[in-house]
Amino acid sequence: MVDKNKSLNNIAVDINKVTKRYRIYHEKIPSLKNTILRGKRTTYEEFLALDDISFSIKYGETFGIIGPNGSGKSTLLKLISNIIRPNSGKINIDGTVSALLELGAGFHPDLTGRENIYINSAILGMRKREVDKRFDQIVRFSELEKFIDTPVKNYSSGMYMRLGFSIAINVNPDILLVDEVLAVGDQSFQAKCYKAIYDIMKRGKTIIIVSHDLETISDLCSRVAFLKEGKIVDLGNPIRVVSQYRAYVEELEKKRAGDQQKEERKKIFKTVIESNRKVVDGEDIEKLSRLDSEQTIKRFGSGDAMIADIRLLDENENKLDYCKYGDEVKIALDIKFNRKVESPIFGIRITDVKDNIVYGTNTRTNNLKTKVYNNSESLRVKFAFKVTLIGGNYHVTPAVGYKDSKTYCDWINNMLTINVLKNEKAEGIANLNSKITIEKIS
Amino acid sequence: MIANIRKLFSYRELIVSLTKKELKIKYRGSALGFFWSLLNPILTMLVYSFVFSIVLQVGTPEFAIFLICALLPFNFLSNSVNYGASSIIANSNLVNKIYFPREIIPLSIILANLFNFLLELAALFIVMGIMGYRFYIYLYLLPVVIFIQFFLVVGMTLLVSALNVFFRDLQHLITIIMMVWFFGTPIIYPLSMVPEKYQFIIKINPMTIYADYYRNIFYYVKYPEGAGFPSAMETLTAVGITLLLFFIGYFAFKKLEPRFAEEI
Repeated sequence: MVDKNKSLNNIAVDINKVTKRYRIYHEKIPSLKNTILRGKRTTYEEFLALDDISFSIKYGETFGIIGPNGSGKSTLLKLISNIIRPNSGKINIDGTVSALLELGAGFHPDLTGRENIYINSAILGMRKREVDKRFDQIVRFSELEKFIDTPVKNYSSGMYMRLGFSIAINVNPDILLVDEVLAVGDQSFQAKCYKAIYDIMKRGKTIIIVSHDLETISDLCSRVAFLKEGKIVDLGNPIRVVSQYRAYVEELEKKRAGDQQKEERKKIFKTVIESNRKVVDGEDIEKLSRLDSEQTIKRFGSGDAMIADIRLLDENENKLDYCKYGDEVKIALDIKFNRKVESPIFGIRITDVKDNIVYGTNTRTNNLKTKVYNNSESLRVKFAFKVTLIGGNYHVTPAVGYKDSKTYCDWINNMLTINVLKNEKAEGIANLNSKITIEKIS
Repeated sequence: MIANIRKLFSYRELIVSLTKKELKIKYRGSALGFFWSLLNPILTMLVYSFVFSIVLQVGTPEFAIFLICALLPFNFLSNSVNYGASSIIANSNLVNKIYFPREIIPLSIILANLFNFLLELAALFIVMGIMGYRFYIYLYLLPVVIFIQFFLVVGMTLLVSALNVFFRDLQHLITIIMMVWFFGTPIIYPLSMVPEKYQFIIKINPMTIYADYYRNIFYYVKYPEGAGFPSAMETLTAVGITLLLFFIGYFAFKKLEPRFAEEI
């Protein structure tokens, strides 16, 4: 009766409210000595790898799992393959499971390819008779005919993986778990791997794939789950879920790059200030410019006019590496025209590290008339102002726009970074430099 | 437990495969291969008989045979326990990545050692045959004793292999325990040499009884003055303790098994 129900529902894997916690020990290796001396186990913290997860996978489905590192993907596969047990919740599996969690796991280096094929197949649950039957097929697939009687310790890592993959896909389970093992060997071998996976799909087997290769995931899978911090963020249509994950990764990257930059910039200026040097020296400049180029610079525009250079200058037009509150400074743009442009608009935008716009201005809003500029003409546009910013880093985005003020010749995101030295008198972005008075009121 | 035995049976090919692997690895790369199994006990015999018969001048006639027929069974136990202790950790790549009943790992080590033990016994037969021992009189008892001892070996090996995952320094302690066990078993001395008041303690050790059986089967056939099988009571006690240790080892292993993958 139960079996009939199962086949009606066609559920191959059912995950029901599964929670998995790992213990992270403060000492790497627990020891008997410590246990006896302290009379208790070594101390540990718990890490929630999966938090109350529920979903099910149908027969014949190819199911993808994506998510950042540490989101619980591999834990999920290990739970499905019965390597670890959940702390709570239920996992029902209908059918035999084979897990490709690591290719060549259990290979012994001293044994030959042939011997390892038999042992590895047995570990993956294959009978000797079946291996005998498929032996040639496995060897042919791995393209290791010549080396099959060589100990695997003499194999290259590519050969090792190829053999591992060839064995694994010949196991023929009902449910196949694949963890990040499709990137094996050269391109022609990879193509073979994909074909093998497709064949398994065609045979109506259930496949669960964990991968960072989003192309593969959206190519192969009928449904995808996006895991984050042990929870399912989204589950369903591969295109939708993958694009959601992409957006998340981009956001994360941006933040990480920003944080790192901020830290390094801080370090450089700290050493400059501590050593009482007035100007940042050559080495530091190099570091800073490297930081600048690391940042994801977004540039767009027709290219009819190009911003060739941007600089921060003092009143006397000397180049500045940093400034402080109250300095009179100029931002200079060097612009080269590649084609005739009529009445362009020159502008800058200053943003803080969190991308808040601090200040933006251009020739149009200042009612400054610009002329017609011809091919190969060069200009220098200067924006002079008094620094009224609180200490910190600010990015400058210069742009050259057409007179319609909708399209651009050139726009370079965060082309220049200005460091304003810290002045502990205030916080925020704008230094309004308030005068504080105190008087009694009656 | 019955269900588990059935499960293990379905994994029999893996057990055979891993046992073969253990044996292959052991002899891979050595020119003499399996001959080491035969050479080893013979060389041990030579060394011990030099030390005990010539240097220490122990009165026991043909001391080498006296010693070896108790030493080989003990080596089966101590090799299994010593190698078995670290076996789960040594195979962490398997435990972490593939599911199969974990007892197969220590079991394959025990079986490889058993195979070795039988090979050594075969060598012993040849030597004893040449020396004129009529060891075949009680030979029918040998499979029974080995069978019972096998349970002791399995129980102890499962216990230490599981505990060692959680307490890594157990491995070192095991070496010491096995040494104490070695001297607490009448191997280099006859049971009759142990003072009466200590005999009780020594006889609680099931290996004492089994060693006595082995010695009666092989050695005392030629020197019947020391002969005499352990009493029924002593034998039953030894079997009882063996089964107790077997179940303790088995259930401890099964209880701890689900956490192996996380701990290593």
